[in-house]
Amino acid sequence: MTPGGAGRRGVVVFACGEPERGDDGVSLAVADRIGRRLGGRAEIRRCGALEPEHLLDLLPDEACVVVDCVAGIAPGEVIVRSLDALVSPDGRSVATPRSTHLLPVADVLALVRVVRPGLPAGSFVGIGGERFGLGSGLSPAVEAALPAVVEVIEAEVDRLAAPGPGG
Amino acid sequence: MTTPDGRPGPSGTRPGAPVPGTPIPGAPSSDGDERRFDVAYITRVEGEGSLRLRLRGTEVVEARLGIFEAPRYFEQLVVGRTPDEVVDIVARICGICPVAYQMSAVHAFEAAFGIEIDPAVRALRRLLYCGEWIQSHALHVYLLHAPDFLGYPSAIALAADHREVVERGLAVKKVGNRIISILGARSIHPVSVRVGGFSRVPRRAELDALRGPLAEAIEGARETVAMVAGFRAPEFEREPMLVSLRHPSEYPFNEGRIVSSDGLDLPLDRWDDAFEEHHVEYSNALHARTTDGRVYLLGPAARITLAGDTLHPVAAEALAASGLRDAIRTNAFWSIAARAIELLHACAEALDIVEAYRPPAEPRVAWTPRPGRGAWATEAPRGLLFHRYEVDERGFVSAAQIVPPTSQNQGAIEQDLALFAPSVLSLPHEEATLRLEQLIRSYDPCISCATHFLDLTIERE
Repeated sequence: MTPGGAGRRGVVVFACGEPERGDDGVSLAVADRIGRRLGGRAEIRRCGALEPEHLLDLLPDEACVVVDCVAGIAPGEVIVRSLDALVSPDGRSVATPRSTHLLPVADVLALVRVVRPGLPAGSFVGIGGERFGLGSGLSPAVEAALPAVVEVIEAEVDRLAAPGPGG
Repeated sequence: MTTPDGRPGPSGTRPGAPVPGTPIPGAPSSDGDERRFDVAYITRVEGEGSLRLRLRGTEVVEARLGIFEAPRYFEQLVVGRTPDEVVDIVARICGICPVAYQMSAVHAFEAAFGIEIDPAVRALRRLLYCGEWIQSHALHVYLLHAPDFLGYPSAIALAADHREVVERGLAVKKVGNRIISILGARSIHPVSVRVGGFSRVPRRAELDALRGPLAEAIEGARETVAMVAGFRAPEFEREPMLVSLRHPSEYPFNEGRIVSSDGLDLPLDRWDDAFEEHHVEYSNALHARTTDGRVYLLGPAARITLAGDTLHPVAAEALAASGLRDAIRTNAFWSIAARAIELLHACAEALDIVEAYRPPAEPRVAWTPRPGRGAWATEAPRGLLFHRYEVDERGFVSAAQIVPPTSQNQGAIEQDLALFAPSVLSLPHEEATLRLEQLIRSYDPCISCATHFLDLTIERE
């Protein structure tokens, strides 16, 4: 069970990415920074890619924040979306995978929504990446965005943990 | 990495590669006598590549499986590294089969240095491989391939009508991930495998926790075999040359000899005595052939055919009950049954290992590097994976050769597509395309291992 505290909902932060692929490791770099800052307010789980089992393992009243690097926005830009917004209304994937060995996030969410059933309360925090080639280390724009990402995740954790409908 | 709408983005996708997410299977186009089918992206395969079929009447004059993911250069990345660094680096080649890369590498180095490992460590390596086969095969059977046979466009649509089926697949897959997490410290890109053993080995209590889940997974895998045995596969008969490892008493993972359906029998460090790689213009991956130019097929169907007598009794019983042994050999579409049988085997063997486990006195044996050559082949979920390393007098790798199963299978995939394509050309365009995609998925291609996407073009003259 994740830390919740009196009246607070447990929140799990899924840090997704591959540290050997440049900016794709940004969520893991964030996880290293945010653990102490979050204290007992959330549990951080590092995962290469989000899998259905990760979300199906959440307790019925747990919420989550999925953090991953994003292509298609400016390097270092931070976006927040509800998990629901990543799946099309008819439950079909809104997108197809590019270079993945696993299901794309949208398919994972769509599958979880059917199997669980329903998506957990939660949000997706994306950080724009620039360099995804082999090798560790973040590009300057992504490195510079880390404090802002930490702030955004912390705010999402507090919003989701608060009593009430949330995410 | 993900795109803002939830698409995982590429790690190193080649500029100019087809943009995923675009509506694909378009209507056939024609230009004079030429009929063209375009599929800019085939889902549910592991990787990015393209397929072009060119036909003259009903004759296939060209079948090309192109791989355009940027070459991965791992063979150069490991040069100048220590053997233990190499074991961690090669795990990054693939998110689905990192264990296979680690196993082939670690055995190659141990062969080079004359290292004898503890029997308990040997058993733990088989258990780790069981974990990888379970998660990989369950993923492919349930989430990637079964929708083809059940008439659904995706696992999501399948789950909407048959939630219990997908739940079963996910439950079995999860047990595989758990095994890898316990032994490898994490489920993707495990970090505990070391030359001579492991950096740490589990306590008995840690493995005992797997007993219940594995017993349930065995039942889930039995149901998987029964489910796929009831599928209807497209008609497609051929007799491919099959190649796998074979061990006299164990279903092949880490040891044995390289054997083939036409009598080849080699020590597993002598792959290059019978096979060779060559570059083809349209692909970033090297193709492999026999030294006399023949294509061959690796993977579950080859293993079931060449080493089926060493399956775990529960898997052997399920195979016999399915009546599919011959069909697995001759019809590529029945690879889903071979994969299900191996899923059952891996679950059953894993439970046996867990129940017999006694931790080794030391997690790894001490060793000293020495200059020389070490080579080894092990059985990745998709087939035989060969590694060869040369180590210099300082103990650093000076040369490496990594031959993944998908690059070895490319020739056989192309040959099968050329054989199968004429039988679907009279079908409506969408159905023909679906059948061809289904055939490609039958090989569970892991194209990024070979160096990801399949962009299908059929040109008819």
